[in-house]
Amino acid sequence: MSKKRIMGLFSDFEEAHDAIADIRRNAVPGLTVDNVTMTSPIEHPEVEEILGDRPVHIQKFTLFGAIFGVTFGFLFLSGAQATFLVQPQGGKAVIPLPSNFTLMYEMLIFFGVWFTFFAFLFLSGLLKKRSALYSEKVSLDQVAIIVEIDGSLDEPVKELFQKHKVLEIREEVVQ
Amino acid sequence: MSLDNILNHWSDYRKGSEEGGHHDYEHRWAMAINLDICNGCNACSTACYAENNLAVVGKERFEKGQAMHWLRIERYWDQQDKDYPEQGASFLPMMCQHCGSATCEPVCPVAATYHTPDGLNAQVYNRCIGSRYCSNNCPFRVRYFNFYSYYESAWPEPMEQQLNPDISVRDKGVMEKCTFCVQRIRTAKDKAKMEDREVQDGEVMTACAQACPTSAIVFGDTMDENSVVSKLWKKHQVERGVYAKTKLAKKDKDLRGYRIFEELNVDPSVMYLDRVREDI
Amino acid sequence: MVTEKDINEQIAWAKINTDVLESMENPRPAFWVTLAVCVAMVACAVLAEYIQYTEGMGTANLNNPHMWDMYIAAFVFWIGMSHSGTLLSAILHLIHADWRKPIYRFAEAMTTFSLLTAGLFPMIHLGRVWNLYWVLPYVSDRGHWPNFRSPLVWDAFAISTYLTASMLFLFVGMIPDLAICRDNTSGWRKKLYTVLSLGWVGSDRQWRHFRKIYLLMACFLIPLAVSVHSIVSADFAMSIMPGWHITSFPPYFVAGALYSGCAAIITLFILLRYFFRFEDYMTLAIMEKTCKLTFAIAMVWTYLNLIEFASIWYGHDMYNKELLIAKATGPYAPIFWTMIFCGSVLPFTLAFQKLRRHMPTMFVVSLFLNLGMFFERWMIVAPTLSMSQEPHQWDVMYGSIIEWAIVFGSFGWFGMLFLIFVKVFPSVSMYEVKEMVFHRKRSAGEEDLARMTDHSKPVTQTTGGEGA
Repeated sequence: MSKKRIMGLFSDFEEAHDAIADIRRNAVPGLTVDNVTMTSPIEHPEVEEILGDRPVHIQKFTLFGAIFGVTFGFLFLSGAQATFLVQPQGGKAVIPLPSNFTLMYEMLIFFGVWFTFFAFLFLSGLLKKRSALYSEKVSLDQVAIIVEIDGSLDEPVKELFQKHKVLEIREEVVQ
Repeated sequence: MSLDNILNHWSDYRKGSEEGGHHDYEHRWAMAINLDICNGCNACSTACYAENNLAVVGKERFEKGQAMHWLRIERYWDQQDKDYPEQGASFLPMMCQHCGSATCEPVCPVAATYHTPDGLNAQVYNRCIGSRYCSNNCPFRVRYFNFYSYYESAWPEPMEQQLNPDISVRDKGVMEKCTFCVQRIRTAKDKAKMEDREVQDGEVMTACAQACPTSAIVFGDTMDENSVVSKLWKKHQVERGVYAKTKLAKKDKDLRGYRIFEELNVDPSVMYLDRVREDI
Repeated sequence: MVTEKDINEQIAWAKINTDVLESMENPRPAFWVTLAVCVAMVACAVLAEYIQYTEGMGTANLNNPHMWDMYIAAFVFWIGMSHSGTLLSAILHLIHADWRKPIYRFAEAMTTFSLLTAGLFPMIHLGRVWNLYWVLPYVSDRGHWPNFRSPLVWDAFAISTYLTASMLFLFVGMIPDLAICRDNTSGWRKKLYTVLSLGWVGSDRQWRHFRKIYLLMACFLIPLAVSVHSIVSADFAMSIMPGWHITSFPPYFVAGALYSGCAAIITLFILLRYFFRFEDYMTLAIMEKTCKLTFAIAMVWTYLNLIEFASIWYGHDMYNKELLIAKATGPYAPIFWTMIFCGSVLPFTLAFQKLRRHMPTMFVVSLFLNLGMFFERWMIVAPTLSMSQEPHQWDVMYGSIIEWAIVFGSFGWFGMLFLIFVKVFPSVSMYEVKEMVFHRKRSAGEEDLARMTDHSKPVTQTTGGEGA
């Protein structure tokens, strides 16, 4: 059986929410909430909750970036200073901790921000070609629910969408 | 490897000037200037212009404060001295003080000014990018900036013949200042090395000291205990790292030595001997 | 007191899209006039810079005691102006003050472009600008590094970090809007937005990560912004000069930065509201909140100013004290008192609601607040150099026409970049205004429901963003 993806567009956020809730309650046998994607024009923490616990790992990269920034900063700065003894000192030590701390602070943030950004790019599924199942209405004011199913579940899913006042249904076959 | 270097020398690299720093000085060039016999004739300044290829900037730029006199004679009239107008102004030859803990050094972003093992505060013209922060952080205001390409007009032909070949002519955009005639120090050190001996006291003489008609300026090495400068410093109880307060505790009229802005803790290498005025 | 909503909750989402997209196509003619003026100012500055570059720094009237002057004052001014955008945006995001949503985009753009303007000044002011890269810590075969003790190197680190971080913050916050633009435009704009929106479709996965990165970046940007201006203040505070070596400089600079940034937000708020007919989004209620915030920061700045004077006065450091007296009574006194008037007295106009709601008045006031802040920076830089420890080198100096042209031109440069930005990118965040409308509508609905079911309790009217 070929796999296919069905997208339903909803203008009422509550209905979309209820539709996902129904899927969660196993209204369509064989379809779990893990196969459901929701696209929306705004950030919806409360609607997303119904999709279940989907973890985000960006913060780990942030932490790593920040720790890397600090340690790299210290080693880099003091290493450079220790090999460059003719540098002006004005009575200060060769490795002056206060000024190195200032720079380490900046490097912490610098690397933290870049690691966070790249983690975001790769983890959030950006930088991909958009699938044909994208409606420009989503960037306006509608919510779309996209489910990935076996062909046999076609009808029950559409029925479920209809029950929740879907505006439009599109589908595509996944190779 | 660099990490080993840091770990092995950590305590050494953490020493500031209070703990002696990590410098191994070969010399510590210094001056003693006796203001009592300075008559403000400006010969030192003129000699400095000739020796160090200083550009003459012209009247207009001089008035704007864009002159390049590494050594300037400052004139002061004491307000309290109205009773003795015939005593006139006091003069003070002011040049780079070659501070031990120079405030100009740590602020340079590109390390263009640094401390040599000779105790000099050196300016590397080629490295200077002209941020001028060093000058701003100099309490003595003795750093001069090439605001224009002065060389284009300072030595019309055939005056470029009089330029000193031992040192460069600076273009616009770099900072410069008194070097304690580093080219003469260099020559003397090279000569001493070739003859396999130490540099003798009096062997190095800066252009200003050489030109001074009253010999008010004495130049020498304070690490050499027998040099004239060392003896003068010791006589007037001026010591590196020891500041005005400790000295003033001893009340002795013969102690005329002081370093300018000692209280700023910059450890200058020039000692001035105060002018003695008649008491009535 | 007039109380009103920050935004009309009934506004249709389609209208938000069309209004903002329309703004990028059809601004009022005044937009083009302003842009032309800015370009002309930049042209003057380029000419002046050409003269200065070929002849030398002396053309700016700089001299031996005055090694720094208006260029550094302008540098500090522009860095300061960059602070309000990102810092306020991040703080207001963390405390969930949703009235930031219609105005934060242009405020963050202001941050980015004033940083780009500020970044010009170290170059303009450098004697040998072609060697600027020597302040960067690159590996050189001569084993030569920059001097990491120098506050100027700290500046280079801090500003490049701040510039990249605030640009990323601006960019990340704009991705969903770029997707909207992509879906609604054609031609070169469509190509541009397709690339920049990075394939955003608004899936739950993207939104979840988006929420996280936005929070994380806001958390980074707050301490970063504070550190950046503290480090700029270190250019002065780390020196040995009277009037520069002052312990209270870092907070004083940060407060001054927020202050001039807020004043600039008011100026740009009024301009954009007029240029792009944004009356529905940049409402008077939001204007009032911005003005109140500015007033509060103005008072903080005034307080820190007084503290600085007081600590100098009672500190008995003769160099500092004489310098302070000279500032207030010497040749620079008119500038000093203008600064005090513009910085501490004029902000009281922000305390009156009638004036706050009068756009032309606020426009003029906000410009004068920033004039005061420019003078503040100049009063920090120049008088110290005029009157340092060494009395022989005391002098009075005013900038030349070259210097003025370049400083004026920097305003044109900033204006030019900013106006091009708001023409090419949405200057009101569409998706966030939708969120704001959505949440306010829902909480208003819940309140109505609560009122209907519970008659016994007195109804307390609360609007969403009040008190934030």
